[in-house]
Amino acid sequence: MKEKIAIELKNIVFGYLKDIVNIDDVSFTVKQGDYVTLIGHNGSGKSTIARLITGLLLQRSGDIEIFGEVMTDDNVLRLRKDIGIIFQNPDNQFIGSSVRDDIAFGLENDCVPEDKMEGIVEEYSKKVGMYKFLDKEPTNLSGGQKQRVAIAGTLARHPKILIMDESTSMLDPKGKREILQLIHQLKKENPELTIISITHDIQEAYESDHVIVVAKGKKIMDGKPDEVFSDSKKMVEIKLDIPFFKRLNMELEDNGLDKYEANSLDGLVEKLCR
Amino acid sequence: MSIKLNHVSYTYSPKTPFEYEALRDVSLEIKDRSFLALIGETGSGKSTLVQHLNGLILPSEGEVQISHYLLSCENGKRKYVDLDRQEEFKGKKYRKKQFNIRNLRKYAGLVFQFPEYQLFEESVLKDVSFGPKNFGATDEEAEQMAKDALKLVGLDDSYLPRSPFELSGGEKRRVAIAGIIALNPSVLILDEPTAGLDPQGEKEMMELFKKINDAGKSVILVTHNMDIVLKYVDEVVVMHDGKLLKQTTPLKLFQDEKFLTTTAIEPPFVFKAAKALISNGLNLNLNNVKDIPTLVQEIKRIKHE
Amino acid sequence: MNNIALGRYIPGNSFLHKMDARIKIISLIVFFVGIFLSYGSSVQNFIMYGVYFVILFTLLKVAHLSFFSVLKSLKALWIMMLFLLVINTFAVQTGDVVFVINNFAVHEDGLVRTGYIIVRLILMITLTTLLTSTSKPLDLTFGLEWLLGPLKLLRVPVHIFAMTISLALRFIPTLMEEANKIIRAQASRGVDFAEGKLKDKFKAIISLIIPLFVSSFLRSGELADAMETRGYDPQGKRTKYRRKHWKMKETFQIIGCGCFLAAIILLAVYKPDFIATVQGWF
Repeated sequence: MKEKIAIELKNIVFGYLKDIVNIDDVSFTVKQGDYVTLIGHNGSGKSTIARLITGLLLQRSGDIEIFGEVMTDDNVLRLRKDIGIIFQNPDNQFIGSSVRDDIAFGLENDCVPEDKMEGIVEEYSKKVGMYKFLDKEPTNLSGGQKQRVAIAGTLARHPKILIMDESTSMLDPKGKREILQLIHQLKKENPELTIISITHDIQEAYESDHVIVVAKGKKIMDGKPDEVFSDSKKMVEIKLDIPFFKRLNMELEDNGLDKYEANSLDGLVEKLCR
Repeated sequence: MSIKLNHVSYTYSPKTPFEYEALRDVSLEIKDRSFLALIGETGSGKSTLVQHLNGLILPSEGEVQISHYLLSCENGKRKYVDLDRQEEFKGKKYRKKQFNIRNLRKYAGLVFQFPEYQLFEESVLKDVSFGPKNFGATDEEAEQMAKDALKLVGLDDSYLPRSPFELSGGEKRRVAIAGIIALNPSVLILDEPTAGLDPQGEKEMMELFKKINDAGKSVILVTHNMDIVLKYVDEVVVMHDGKLLKQTTPLKLFQDEKFLTTTAIEPPFVFKAAKALISNGLNLNLNNVKDIPTLVQEIKRIKHE
Repeated sequence: MNNIALGRYIPGNSFLHKMDARIKIISLIVFFVGIFLSYGSSVQNFIMYGVYFVILFTLLKVAHLSFFSVLKSLKALWIMMLFLLVINTFAVQTGDVVFVINNFAVHEDGLVRTGYIIVRLILMITLTTLLTSTSKPLDLTFGLEWLLGPLKLLRVPVHIFAMTISLALRFIPTLMEEANKIIRAQASRGVDFAEGKLKDKFKAIISLIIPLFVSSFLRSGELADAMETRGYDPQGKRTKYRRKHWKMKETFQIIGCGCFLAAIILLAVYKPDFIATVQGWF
């Protein structure tokens, strides 16, 4: 079975200001149905890439293809219907004056018939666990709850691609867990949904299908988590966090204790205590 | 200089339908040179507590003592007692003299979460000097205090004339923190100062607070990050539902498994790893395990004996 | 009885609360027309104003609002009204002399003029407060949008105004929370928002306004991105989630409005003598 390509970036160059290059010749491919994580230090260009993919920004050169179609001025509005994006700040993407109104916002924009809207609003509020909060106002909701509403409103438009632009960065640990669990569940329910998660959570990256690493506007690494995280020293060099055992192994190696390197707690106990 | 909370309770919007009891009978002493972490879920009362420490909020019940000032509420009216001068100020005005609430703010410097939003001046120097000027420093004094504070947070003189708005997020954070350090408070209170920073930024910031603590100031951190708690902090205060549940050392906290399960606190992984090794026969000294490097040092020590 | 902070929505279940916002706005306009029509002599006019006050009192009662709290909220305007009274008595020298102070004659017309201004102001403010206290801000926005609908034919972007207003309403509580946060942060840096010389107070306000402005600009940028990526096209067609229904009740109410309007116009055109009419009844 041939795998469909959801997104392809070909030699993208972009700069916010005339003499500056913020995205320097970046290319990568995202397969349909994959859970991709995009990681990099603050200011590396991750969010810029997300904005380029959704057509909010226009690249200086290079092509962006969504399901094989090159994005141009003429088709960007149509292509955008297949892409949903959840931003970082829960307040600044909550448009409606209540949960219902916010979920319905996207439906109104898509000219969904009025008599169908109520059903869709209720259905998607249930999917994210916000059915009981339908008439609540945003000031009475937590960050995690607001992000759940954003997810409902975005999914209600049936996008084929979902981009999470650091959607859990501003949440407390409980909120972060809520959202991650929700996304994993949604992925299970929609195996064809392609998810791109821009994140600082190294554990999340470790568990994804495909990791893309950017630093200073360039793509540094691109591949399966095992391949990407094998070079721990490089990760530290580009100011990225690395999974616990990788860090531990690096430290053991630096202290001449290579023989105790392990990839799990059981493995560590095995090597040190027997 | 110590700060004491004595049976403090605080209710938001009393006698309205929005009444909310945020603090219940909390007693706490911040001794000199403490390095303390305040942990608890959102809604546990941490930020309300912390705002009592610099007099931003006055208790509904109970007393707060900041240095030689005693604050309380009597019959709904604020009461300030200057213990040194044996003077009392009640309500808003006391004859012609009025209690200057600003006296309290300089003892405890409070840095809120994401403090970048408090920046507003034309230049970094002006913004950081703003605080000292409000407390009566002359322009020269304030500028010197600002320069010293900026150096402490790792921003050199080249930053002085720049506009705070053109700086990166991490740099803005440091300018905002410098703005409070410049006040030279005896106690520095920070709410999630490393939120949103990358690992390098987080490390630099924590080393800064350690330096400040070593130099003699108390540092209080409100945090969710247990790695930081294990590595840097001497004491942990656990808040839940407006009550102070526990005040103890990080090690004692992480070893109290029953407490951890009831409060859903997750010890740092390095601690869990050390515990697993110990329970399997490796004789590590938990007191020495603060982070990965120190864990490895302990392993080295044991294996070479 | 509820105290009114002028303009705030006060939840309730009265007849007025349940009335469609569009009809309330239309009624407001009709009333305003009635307030400015002339019914003959000044005595006639004041009698009409008396009738209006009676109607208003009844409506206020229906909505469980207190007239006296409206008056209290008008405290700020008392000074202006006093000022107007003084100006008018000096400026208008026509009409019979009512009384003399210190060799200065106060003429009837001056007092009448001021009377008109004050009474009309109170009527208008009370009416508007009645509207805003019994209607949710969002309902008012939708009502206005519907009423201004015909302007779309003149290429006026009514729906964009409506979106702007509803967004502003959505963010008022958020902005207030943010202002609160900034105030506390600056207070921790020694800013005293209450006391201090004028220069200090000015600086204090700047330390609040600038961060608020900056964050609002950033916020609006992010909001625009969010709206765009959710398919919002200001020029494009959109369906409406919140539809307003028009039932029999609304038709009756609108007819009632029309009758009221017709009545006051007839009174203004024919200017019947009220006192003579009432005397004729007895």
